[in-house]
Amino acid sequence: MIDAKYLTKVYGSTTVLNIIDLTINQGESFGLVGNNGAGKTTFFRLILDLIRANSGTVTSKNYDVRQSTDWKFYTGSYLDQRFLIDFLTPEEYFDFLSNIHGLSSGDLDQFYIDFETFFNDEILGKGKYIRDLSQGNRQKVGIAAALMTKPEVLILDEPFNGLDPSTQLRLIKMLNEIKEKERTTMLISSHDLKHVTEVCDRIAILEKGTIIHDLKTSTDTLKELESYFSV
Amino acid sequence: MIYKWFLSHQWKEMKRSSIWQKNVVLNIVIGLLVGIMLLYLLALGLFIDKILTELFPDKDPVAVFNGIVLYYLGIEFFMRFFIQNLPTLNIETYLHLPIKKHSIVHFVAAKSIFAIGNYLSWLVIIPFAFKVIAPSYSTGIAWLYILAIVLLVFTNNFLATYVKRQLVGKPMIVGVFGLIMISLILLDHFSLISVSSFSTFVFGKLLEYPVFILVPAFLLAFTYSLNYFFLKSRLYPEEVVVKKQRKMDSLSEIRYLKTLGLTGLMISLDLRLIWRHKRTRSIVFMAPLFLLYGFFFYPIPMYREQYGFLIFVGIFMTGGMMLNYLNYCFSYESNYFDNILANYKDLERYIRTKYILGISIATACYILTIPYVFFGVDILLMNTMTFLYNIGFLSFVLFYIATYSKKRMDLSKGAAFNYQGLGATHWLSMLPAFLLPVIIYLPFRWLGYPTAGLLFIGALGVIGLLFSKSLINMVLKQFMKRRHSMAEGFRE
Repeated sequence: MIDAKYLTKVYGSTTVLNIIDLTINQGESFGLVGNNGAGKTTFFRLILDLIRANSGTVTSKNYDVRQSTDWKFYTGSYLDQRFLIDFLTPEEYFDFLSNIHGLSSGDLDQFYIDFETFFNDEILGKGKYIRDLSQGNRQKVGIAAALMTKPEVLILDEPFNGLDPSTQLRLIKMLNEIKEKERTTMLISSHDLKHVTEVCDRIAILEKGTIIHDLKTSTDTLKELESYFSV
Repeated sequence: MIYKWFLSHQWKEMKRSSIWQKNVVLNIVIGLLVGIMLLYLLALGLFIDKILTELFPDKDPVAVFNGIVLYYLGIEFFMRFFIQNLPTLNIETYLHLPIKKHSIVHFVAAKSIFAIGNYLSWLVIIPFAFKVIAPSYSTGIAWLYILAIVLLVFTNNFLATYVKRQLVGKPMIVGVFGLIMISLILLDHFSLISVSSFSTFVFGKLLEYPVFILVPAFLLAFTYSLNYFFLKSRLYPEEVVVKKQRKMDSLSEIRYLKTLGLTGLMISLDLRLIWRHKRTRSIVFMAPLFLLYGFFFYPIPMYREQYGFLIFVGIFMTGGMMLNYLNYCFSYESNYFDNILANYKDLERYIRTKYILGISIATACYILTIPYVFFGVDILLMNTMTFLYNIGFLSFVLFYIATYSKKRMDLSKGAAFNYQGLGATHWLSMLPAFLLPVIIYLPFRWLGYPTAGLLFIGALGVIGLLFSKSLINMVLKQFMKRRHSMAEGFRE
């Protein structure tokens, strides 16, 4: 599904990412953990062709993401607030995206129904522009936008950041449902070890740009992760 | 002394800002222009007495000079309005510190005294005062005269910054101001009132009764406090936000755009972008000023004979707004540029949409300039040709260059204290675009075929329009090549 081969990214004289061979299979939920500056966001940006790699390639369904744009049709992503068009109201933003992705108005209505509890009455119908929403609510808008098209591949960078506890739990539940129902391939990075083990079947630890552990999630995974990160 | 800290922070900010470091060429050009201007002014100042007696041998040079002063201040006001950057300070970083609020406001209000425009006129006034006024009156009066003009120049400075500040919040005030200025110019032009004899009268009285120095002093204090109280009322970022929230506009409901499918959707997004940010919106409000440009030049026979300059005016009027848009269309979206790269499947349409919107803006401007046909059919022909040149040729050149933009533009940030990019560098970077058609035209004129020159300029545009499809593809290719660097710059 998604393969990274000999992928490196260098800023100045430091190599911030160096992945020799990584394959994420169809339907797999892949968690990425690591301290700040480990290269998580860099990796995601490379998958989304937002930065240029110094060497190596990322392929999605065997197509190089830099050459082809087909992956955009089945990939939903939310990395940070730069993804939001902040001078629109959330409704306008969703409407815009649904048009871009060619969803019908019925699909859009269904989306609003599906996300009613996730939005928790704080997003829609407020007449506020996205820039005037709180940090957490903006995060909700971004995550919902990524999920809107029911993508085959979902890429979320630290999705739990800034969300209130109830919404964090709702998000975990929602991601697990999607995983089972739609067999979505997920790439999720997080600083919250517990959440990431609850969602992902496979977890990789990134340290200074290289993957130093790549584990299948089991009952011991959380302990292993905690012992790795303990100070 | 808190001001010392403010100054050092500002100095560092300026020194470390990326434009300063990256845009070396532009800085050299600005440096050269400023240097040339200084030399001219210095020469003017040194020979002012000879020049005045040469030009007006039987008139009192003091009266002549006094007659010009008000005109000068008027022109200076306009120049300041367009060129001078508004002083800014990122107040959020200081508000939570134990600094007295009025010091912050005083600093922002007073910062514009460092603008170079405040000191240029000194080069002429000081020599004039000592060479012409001192002999006929006294050295004391000469000093007084200098003081009066300097006070007025600073008054002008604060008035211009005040009006420019209003551009964002209450554009109406700017409109009213512009109308007053234009009607004064027209009244003076048709000799209904005489600004120059009024000017001679006022400054003559000042030389007779030194106590009148209090008037400019009072004006300065008044305009300064206008700025001070305006800024003071806007000190709380939160209150400014509350004001911004007003009510939602209904721009997303434009029916016609909905019938255009995806292209219409993207146009509607860009329209909302322009309308919902103060900075872009204030450019929209400046559009009428662009369009009135012709009024200043068409009635004057000197310019009518020198066609070359009027081409410049035509390019500016029909294309100024378009250039502004195309130049920044990518940077405007820096807040969500990653989203565009990750989500837009059809980037060709994205590019084409921007082009369509650009030329629509130019077309609207062109239609509004048609009434200038009142000044002659040749004016209409000229504006038509420059319009064609703008939409068919210049648009692509600028669009291509726009892919080199790397500077993040945070439209959402900062409320009343954020006005980056409305100043001189912004206009100057577009100067070559305005000058090229004049350069094309001049050889034709010298050979005696001015109309052929105009048609040639227009033909360039028509050729561009005929090949627009491949030209858009060229821009797209360039965009694809540059996309990573752009995204990287916009992320900063």
